[in-house]
Amino acid sequence: MTVLSRLWPRKLAGQIALLIALALFVAQAINFTLLLRERRFFALAQITGPAATRFADAIERSAQGRPPVADRGRVRLVSANPVPATLPREPEVEKSLRSGLAESGVQVGRIVTGLSPLRVDSPLLRRLPVSRRRFLMRSADELVIAVERPGLGWLVQRMPWGAHDIGLVWRLAGQTAILFVIVLLPVLWAVRRLSRPLRDLTAAAERFGPGEPVAPVAVSGPDDVAALITAFNGLRLRVTAMLDEKDRMLGAIGHDLRTPLAALRVRIESVEDEADRLRMIDTIADMNRTLDDILSLARLGRPSEPLTEVDLAALVDAVVEDFRDLGAPVSFEDIDRLRMRLRPALMRRAVRNLIENAVKYGEVAEVSLRAEQHAVAIVVADRGPGIPADRMGDVFDPFTRLETSRNRETGGIGLGLALARAIVREAGGEVVLANRPEGGLAATITLRR
Amino acid sequence: MLDPGVMGDLPHLLLVDDERSIREPLAVYLGKQGFRVTQAGDAEGARSRLAAYAIDLAIIDIMMPGEDGLSLCRHIAATSDVPVILLTARAEETDRIVGLEMGADDYVVKPFSPRELATRVKVILRRTQGGGTRQHAPETGSYAFAGWVLKSGERALVDREGVSVPLSTGEFNLLLALVTRPRQVLTRDQLLDLTQGREAAAFDRAIDNQVSRLRRKIEADAKAPDIIKTVWGGGYTLAAEVTRL
Repeated sequence: MTVLSRLWPRKLAGQIALLIALALFVAQAINFTLLLRERRFFALAQITGPAATRFADAIERSAQGRPPVADRGRVRLVSANPVPATLPREPEVEKSLRSGLAESGVQVGRIVTGLSPLRVDSPLLRRLPVSRRRFLMRSADELVIAVERPGLGWLVQRMPWGAHDIGLVWRLAGQTAILFVIVLLPVLWAVRRLSRPLRDLTAAAERFGPGEPVAPVAVSGPDDVAALITAFNGLRLRVTAMLDEKDRMLGAIGHDLRTPLAALRVRIESVEDEADRLRMIDTIADMNRTLDDILSLARLGRPSEPLTEVDLAALVDAVVEDFRDLGAPVSFEDIDRLRMRLRPALMRRAVRNLIENAVKYGEVAEVSLRAEQHAVAIVVADRGPGIPADRMGDVFDPFTRLETSRNRETGGIGLGLALARAIVREAGGEVVLANRPEGGLAATITLRR
Repeated sequence: MLDPGVMGDLPHLLLVDDERSIREPLAVYLGKQGFRVTQAGDAEGARSRLAAYAIDLAIIDIMMPGEDGLSLCRHIAATSDVPVILLTARAEETDRIVGLEMGADDYVVKPFSPRELATRVKVILRRTQGGGTRQHAPETGSYAFAGWVLKSGERALVDREGVSVPLSTGEFNLLLALVTRPRQVLTRDQLLDLTQGREAAAFDRAIDNQVSRLRRKIEADAKAPDIIKTVWGGGYTLAAEVTRL
């Protein structure tokens, strides 16, 4: 089964070629069987007719008292059965001969036949032309037919018998091969017409992704394939339109939520109580950040930012510096320049979110950057309570927060982490959380180099 | 009510926003900050008020029904010298750059701090009215100096090999201030003044610290700087040719 499935071609053209080859071979085999049967029947008639006549003739001669040997000595009279029992017999010849003799009104005893290989010095070949002799040597056996005349002895004839069709299989294979080639060429041409647009379509479907420029697949091939391509192009336009619509909607949501936030923010300035005012400003800033995160997360499938060659060390350093400018306790072990290809604004956001969480829930953020041969790790460690092992996976779900979290501030840990992970995954990396043995949580961004 | 004489001395701002909930309290706030504020609810109203008054600076919301803020901004830049600050609800960088190429002098992203807006208004007015020649959007685009390119839209430095070196907000603001004033000596106070109005960050961060961080990033030898030079007793200067790209 495994061998069969390994032999079974995977491509359309291969499968069709194999199926055609098998079908042609079966059809040819049936043809040849029929042909063979007909040839045999014909050969039988050709052999047994004259043979019966000669036997009848010889029997008639002996009845008239003449020597039975006539017709240039083809028929001989011997006293005992001359056919060794070891030779293969030809029952059909025997049957046909018996009925032939019966028709002539001749009564005979047993009829025995025997096939033996034709020998070069066989008297049968004696008076024949060379080419005929060669042909017979190649394709024929010597058939001995002995007819018993009870009490008188046996009448014997020898003749060439084209029993086996040497090369029949080869001829079958050869003819099949010729047919195969003739049939296969147009079929392969048709298959190519099918498979090339299908291949283009597959490539287009694989390429089709967020942010990719949309060029329709060229419509080609037979009608059914062309219809498929047209349908795919339409589908792609609709998907793109839906994504555009989503972007527009998110833009509108952003605008509609930011406007009241902006109005609030302006009015807050007239609040007399300084502490109150600052708290309100913080709340609005938090709401705005969450809104930003939601919009970014929703838009991440279609990043508008191009991939850029960036010094990742400087990027992390810049994010850390922004936190330190605001007085946040963030440390960073600087390393040498680390050239990477990524989307810098999004990656800044991911690193910022991790540091923000560390500062918020873990008091401090200790940021470090490790470069290995094929990977880069950005580690953001804190000195907070960490996360219970069984909740480690939950914190990535957007909008979920740990109830055990002692933190009271707004702004979900979940959303920030979810966004960071989405950004890093889009860049082909991963974010992993782990409790540190010395206490606190370590969030690690791993990126391939 | 203030008498017309006093009113005439105050800088006259035109505030264009279709959202009354933002426009009205903002006008009140800016009024308290010592500005005369004229309001308009759409671009058409803004055009007629621009014609009727001697406006010193226009604050324009980008997203407005009918003619939008960008189009109005372009009109103002084409027909007058009135500086423009754009209010935008979208934080995307592309919008920022587009806005500044429309001839805007600055922008704030909603929800913005009214104080920050007032500070920026003052900075721009000081720049345009203090006798200095006014350049449109002096802080946009890219600047090439000493083998580096500072891209203001992306807040990044790009080196000779095309690798982008991200800067912190404070570093970026400081470098932008230096790069837009090459070979001028800028005191620490001036630098603080030039860099603070931009974002909330970097208020009390020592300029010296930022300079030494920048030097480590761009100088061949940070101990013997060639690009950002210290002026004895004065401050800092950018000692390199700057080409605006």
